[in-house]
Amino acid sequence: MTALDLKLVRDLWRMRGQALAIALVLAAATATFVLSMGVHRSLTETRDAYYERNAFADVFAEMTRAPRAVLPQIAAIAGVKRVEGTIRQFATLDFPDRVEPVRALINSVDEHGRTRLNRIKLRQGRLPQAGAADEVVVDEVFAKANGLDIGDRVDALIYGRKQSLRIVGTGLAPNYIYAMAPGDLIPDDRRFGILWMGEKALEAATDRTEAINALSLTLERGAAQAEVIRKVDSLLDRYGGTGAYGREDQLSNTFLDNELMQLEALTRVIPPIFLLVSTFLVYIVLGRMIRTERTQIGLVKAFGYSDWAIGWHYLKFALAIAVLATILGSFAGTWMGQGMTRLYAQYYRFPFLYYEIAPSVFLGAAGLSIGAAALGALGGVREAVRLNPAVAMSPPPPPVYRTGLVERLGAWGGFTATGNMIARHIARWPWRSAVTVLGVALSMGLLFATMQFVDSSKVMLDSYFYRAQRQDLTVTFIEPRNEDVLFELSQLRGVLRAEPIRAVPVKIGRGNRTERSAIESAPAGATLTARIDADGREIELPPAGLMMSRQLADKLGARAGDRVLVEMLGGRRTTIYLPVAAVIDEFIGERVYASEATMDRIARDAAPAGSALLRIDSSQRRRILSELKAMPEVLGVTERSAAMGKFEDMIDENINTMLAFYISFASAIAVGVVYNSARILFSERVHELATLRVLGYYRSEVGVVLLGELAVLVLAAVPVGCVIGNWLARLMTAMFSSDLFRLPFAPSPASYGYSALVVLGAASLTALLVARRVLELDMVRVLKARE
Amino acid sequence: MNVANPADREPTAEPAFRAEGLRKVYQTGETEVHALRGVDLEIPAGEMLVLLGPSGSGKSTLLNLLGGLDRPTSGRLFYRDLELTGLDEKGMTRFRRSEIGFIFQFYNLMPSLTAEENVRLVTDIAAHPMDAVEALALVGLADRRDHYPAQLSGGEQQRVAVARAIAKQPGVLLCDEPTGALDSTTGIRVLETLATANRELGATVVVITHNVGIAAMADRVFHFLDGNIARTEVHEHPISPLEISW
Repeated sequence: MTALDLKLVRDLWRMRGQALAIALVLAAATATFVLSMGVHRSLTETRDAYYERNAFADVFAEMTRAPRAVLPQIAAIAGVKRVEGTIRQFATLDFPDRVEPVRALINSVDEHGRTRLNRIKLRQGRLPQAGAADEVVVDEVFAKANGLDIGDRVDALIYGRKQSLRIVGTGLAPNYIYAMAPGDLIPDDRRFGILWMGEKALEAATDRTEAINALSLTLERGAAQAEVIRKVDSLLDRYGGTGAYGREDQLSNTFLDNELMQLEALTRVIPPIFLLVSTFLVYIVLGRMIRTERTQIGLVKAFGYSDWAIGWHYLKFALAIAVLATILGSFAGTWMGQGMTRLYAQYYRFPFLYYEIAPSVFLGAAGLSIGAAALGALGGVREAVRLNPAVAMSPPPPPVYRTGLVERLGAWGGFTATGNMIARHIARWPWRSAVTVLGVALSMGLLFATMQFVDSSKVMLDSYFYRAQRQDLTVTFIEPRNEDVLFELSQLRGVLRAEPIRAVPVKIGRGNRTERSAIESAPAGATLTARIDADGREIELPPAGLMMSRQLADKLGARAGDRVLVEMLGGRRTTIYLPVAAVIDEFIGERVYASEATMDRIARDAAPAGSALLRIDSSQRRRILSELKAMPEVLGVTERSAAMGKFEDMIDENINTMLAFYISFASAIAVGVVYNSARILFSERVHELATLRVLGYYRSEVGVVLLGELAVLVLAAVPVGCVIGNWLARLMTAMFSSDLFRLPFAPSPASYGYSALVVLGAASLTALLVARRVLELDMVRVLKARE
Repeated sequence: MNVANPADREPTAEPAFRAEGLRKVYQTGETEVHALRGVDLEIPAGEMLVLLGPSGSGKSTLLNLLGGLDRPTSGRLFYRDLELTGLDEKGMTRFRRSEIGFIFQFYNLMPSLTAEENVRLVTDIAAHPMDAVEALALVGLADRRDHYPAQLSGGEQQRVAVARAIAKQPGVLLCDEPTGALDSTTGIRVLETLATANRELGATVVVITHNVGIAAMADRVFHFLDGNIARTEVHEHPISPLEISW
């Protein structure tokens, strides 16, 4: 080891506290990068491999009923590689000891193993056999959640007929990675599951001999999906086709894409913050180090070391920190990634999860942290390179203070002499002071942005579950029904109110843009639903025309007053031009509303109700649920309180983990920034502090001079942190919003307070740690030496 | 300028400092350095005392003990009737705060404070300080009160340090090589201000110097050698700083 490298090693050891503090911030950058990139890639690769192995289809279509004979016609469409028809049928399952409704979506599967698309990955047991009409494969997650085993029997109400099903296997399929009952916002594995039944058996059970009600197909490489969809739609038109759609509109895939998008957003927002702070820290620490080592630099240059050897020496100091950070961060990121992947495994039904972080992710992380450290070192290194040895060996000129604004401020404000020392020192080193303020502010901003997520989710939940929905139960019918069933429901004892919900699947077009959606309507005077906009206002249905959510309007490029082409999918397939009467800012979904009259115009008829909302006497809940279970026209019942509880559980569960991560990350920044600022401050002022002690200042008074400056900077960081946090939170809510939901920016005052408290706490503890050094001030030695 | 003869002063009932068997041993690595080897002394109040001796003979160690910056390894030290060796950390600080004015070779001014504010650093916390500007006037720098240290010459900086030391009206002024970094003209100017403080404020002044010429202005000179006072010299007629041969 060369003597200069030996100096490097000893410098690192001497400054280990500061180096470690920077390394921790940089490690947080590496960790979040490895975490989000790693999980993103793992999920993407898992999904792609799963889609590939189990032949996830490219295009999907549902219809009322079509003969199997339509399949060869579809297969003949140019660009279609393989097409398969299936029956999909909702059913209710009866668990005798449970009163709450359990729903299943039954899919047909070829008994001879000829089903190739969306193939089941058997986890246990076998597929249903030909001739065994009662055999089913149950989705693994549902089976586990309900304690179902192979050989168990479950009673099901399929298409109005009670049937006893025998479980012969458990499995998973790529089209149900994310499985959720219609109308739900979050998967509920106990109340909703996927079943696979033999094709012949399901045909018989649903009176669809040689008929299908769903199909999926794969495309040839390079085929134009839109064109295929158009042709499929025209073929399925007369069979009650509701419009074919690609993977991007397939529920399970959409949710997965949404998750991946959020992970990507995380990669783009979080690591840069840490990198920025690390760069700042390296800049101030190395800058100070080079100033204190001026004489040594001059001496070494006088010995004949080249400018570049000196520059490289200091650059290596920064690089060593970056390497340490990369190692720490990679381990932390990998470990956290495992935890996060496990979390995903709870919500996404993968038969396997690749959790393998590609070497390129680690290399990328290393590149980023080395880059950030090198960038921070640049200023200091340049100074070291430029130092003229003769100049360097003479003592540096004393810092020049002149009467400026800050000084006048002191006189004006009646500062004490020590007060002036604090104010002027801040003004003397504006960049470093700014770095401290900005660093602490970023830490607070990050924490605030995270906490705002909680607030935001709660506001969204409150708006959706408490204000927009006022029913206790949502009853879904096997097929859309008329008023008679509503009357029947309202006659149940304990039902206080029953209202129909009509929803008609439509395609809405404007210019060359088309979006699939459903127009929803509630009768005039309905009280169980309301449309709440982002500002919390309740918005009435427009008397004429459509009201659509902002997301959909944006996609169509439509504004209030524009006319859009509405094509009803299924039913009479009417096509009608309607004006957009209003655009509403909503949190969830891309939705369209119309008054009942408008709805009837579209449907050319009194539109039937697909579901009903009930308000009930809670003491009658069990009885009402069991009566509903017995009604043949009822497909399923969603309980608002259960859905809400499930949602809240999910938020609580994830948020505590998330908050723990972010509190530690934010603290890492605050500690890193304050520790380094305090150490630099102390080393710069050790002479002055000792002089104050000699002059008769008590330790506590000297501590005030040291901590006062930090306190001013940290307190100044609080408002800046609020601004940064505000901005960051808005950015993150925008980046996290998708077709599925839009997060509101709705911070609670407590989030400002709490994030400020955490950061102030971390800063105070760190500052006190450094302030302890005041106790150890050696007055005599300090005063003997020339500064 | 006339320098007062100690004989002209009111007789003092007690000495400013009294020490018995002062020892100070520094532990540096594995070797022990005996900086003071059992010093007994009395420093009469209101005198000007010069400490002479080679480097490492114990002068600075004694000064630090007198100023309450450090504690002896053994022995007892009194300031008037206050036993310094019995004080805790806080008591030592209180003692420095109320009784001691320090002046160092390298001034130790706060670069971020103007001359006046540097003096205020002391008047802010002293019990009976004089006005900061008045203190600057005493050292002839009233017109430079708004200058920062970087805008002052070395001699001026040292005079600000003297003003800072005397502004609290201390009982004792302790000066460690106060002219060590100055040329003769500015050095004499600084010594004059010390003499003024000694005469007009009645402060006991202790000066460490390598400059033998300065000893002539002292009432009393302690010659240090190997951690002991080898010889005490008493001047009946100390000379004025202006007469010092530098």
